[in-house]
Amino acid sequence: MGLATTRGVDREVRESIREFLYLESLALDERRFRDWLEAFAEDARYEIPVRVTREKFSEWELSPTSRIFDDTKETLEVRVKRLETDFAWSEQPPSRTRHFITNIVVRPTDEADEFLALSNCLVYRSRGEETTPSLFSAQRRDLLRRADEGDGCGWLIVHRWAALDQAVVNAHNMSIFI
Amino acid sequence: MAAIGTSEGVQRMLADMREGVLQGRVPARIFNDQEIFDLERDKLFSTAWCFLAHESEIPKNGDYVVRYIANNSIIVVRDEHGNLTASLNMCRHRGNMMCKSEMGNASHFRCSYHGWVYKNSGELIGVPYFKEGYEGKLDRKQWGLVKVRIDTYAGLIFGTLDPDAPSLDEYLGGFQFYLDIYLKQGAGGSEVHGPPDHWVAETDWKICAENFSGDGYHTPVAHQFGFHLGYFPSSGATHSEGWAVHIPDKGHSIGLGHTPGMPPFFGYPDQLVEQMRASLSPEQMEVFSKTRTAVGSVFPNLSFLIQPFSLVPGEPGVRFCTMRLWHPIGPGRMEMWSWCLVPKDASDEYKEEAYKAYTLAFGQAGTFEQDDFENWTRVTRAAGSTAVRGVEFPYVMGLDRPRLDDFPGPGYAVSPYVTDTNFRNLWSTWLDYLTREV
Ligand code: FES
Ligand SMILES: [Fe+2]
Repeated sequence: MGLATTRGVDREVRESIREFLYLESLALDERRFRDWLEAFAEDARYEIPVRVTREKFSEWELSPTSRIFDDTKETLEVRVKRLETDFAWSEQPPSRTRHFITNIVVRPTDEADEFLALSNCLVYRSRGEETTPSLFSAQRRDLLRRADEGDGCGWLIVHRWAALDQAVVNAHNMSIFI
Repeated sequence: MAAIGTSEGVQRMLADMREGVLQGRVPARIFNDQEIFDLERDKLFSTAWCFLAHESEIPKNGDYVVRYIANNSIIVVRDEHGNLTASLNMCRHRGNMMCKSEMGNASHFRCSYHGWVYKNSGELIGVPYFKEGYEGKLDRKQWGLVKVRIDTYAGLIFGTLDPDAPSLDEYLGGFQFYLDIYLKQGAGGSEVHGPPDHWVAETDWKICAENFSGDGYHTPVAHQFGFHLGYFPSSGATHSEGWAVHIPDKGHSIGLGHTPGMPPFFGYPDQLVEQMRASLSPEQMEVFSKTRTAVGSVFPNLSFLIQPFSLVPGEPGVRFCTMRLWHPIGPGRMEMWSWCLVPKDASDEYKEEAYKAYTLAFGQAGTFEQDDFENWTRVTRAAGSTAVRGVEFPYVMGLDRPRLDDFPGPGYAVSPYVTDTNFRNLWSTWLDYLTREV
């Protein structure tokens, strides 16, 4: 397919999706998890597949069956409800995160009001007095749907799929969101 | 006798521990110490039966996975005849690594250094310049990959580096009875849902192994959210109910937690509950049907857990099963491997649901797992600090509880579920290995 262009997506859509992704990650970094949850459609899926080190030309490197996150909006809400207590020990005291979202490419889909947004995501996570931060580098692929007038900030995440670049993650847990 | 090179301090600590464990005391230092780590590598992991893989990870001829026992990389293969074999992941010529990926399928392995070629079962069959260089004089039969002794139980493939170790059957010593709850889910048994999730943690493997030997005590606090928000079908008032069982001198143990009033095998679909009657013996049914939580470990570092996760507070929820390996990579440092086991014959719908429940609770993003590792890394750090040398922890819970004499399963069973009884046996078995002459 060569370097597929994003022709067919107008500048205004691209701009507003970019802003949406920034605002969404701001909610995470500011620990406004309820606001973050509202960015998801009711039928949303949130998936992080398990990466496996394989030979070149293998059928897959991202497991088709194993996932680190395998969530719906309902289970994301379980996670958020938990974070709203003061005994979610893995986030007590909370992680300091910073999401860096770059290389955003927006592609049209068969649905007029849905777009695919690819982005690179680097998450810096610092905990407690630890001097070594955890770094999570991932590619994100978000299916976004235009939200109804007055609903949130213009878009809803229908499907977030994020693939971590490390096969063995060097963090004792993933108590944060990508 | 301690190994040469072990300091007097550590030798004395282990000697004192022999008495201490029986009275309910364990030194903190064992949970983060270089000398202990070295002793474990040389005396425990070099002789015990260690978990390598589940058969369902390598279903087809030629399938392989790369796994570890201590610092040894091992290729576990289903060969071209369908037989399971294992070899060190090292070329016999000059020691290059053969398989550089975690899994794959190959009939042969070719070394990327000088090009020796082996069958996937380890026999050397191809040597470049065999005539010109070796003048045909290299005896290929002698120079295959180094074999690792393996054996299986109900789909689990174990390996041992000790050619003289007793059989796996003897090693498990009756614990098979308890493993069946995890491995014989339904008529077709259990299979992995996919490759394991693995990550590195600054945690000593033993803290995890102890926790999964039946630490029901931590659950209401470490996983308080589950109780408080109703996702975990147990209550603080009855949580201690159930049994703790271990196999004396073998180190294997299981905790079986009960929730009064729940139907048998709650959280499984009805069809699967029916099938359990066929796959388990009447004695096993008696022991397991009441179980909410089954948390058990095969000594030294393989563990299992079955428990439900309920998205609707107050309801039984969905039962899932995880298998995990606490692989030591340094003192106070480990690589965690986590699988989800699903009943092979269950509907795809249930398998998906069970897998979702598993990832919500376990695996590196699992809500229960997150909290466990948070605590365990802190325990590890404390155990490695200098002032903690000489400090002991109490293991006295259940010290005077009598053994249940009418318990239908093998081993030493006590009630309630919340007790240190299993752990005293775990640490005295561990001590047997570490103080044994090799
Ligand atoms: S090291 Fe493998 S062929 Fe030489
Ligand atoms: Fe736990």
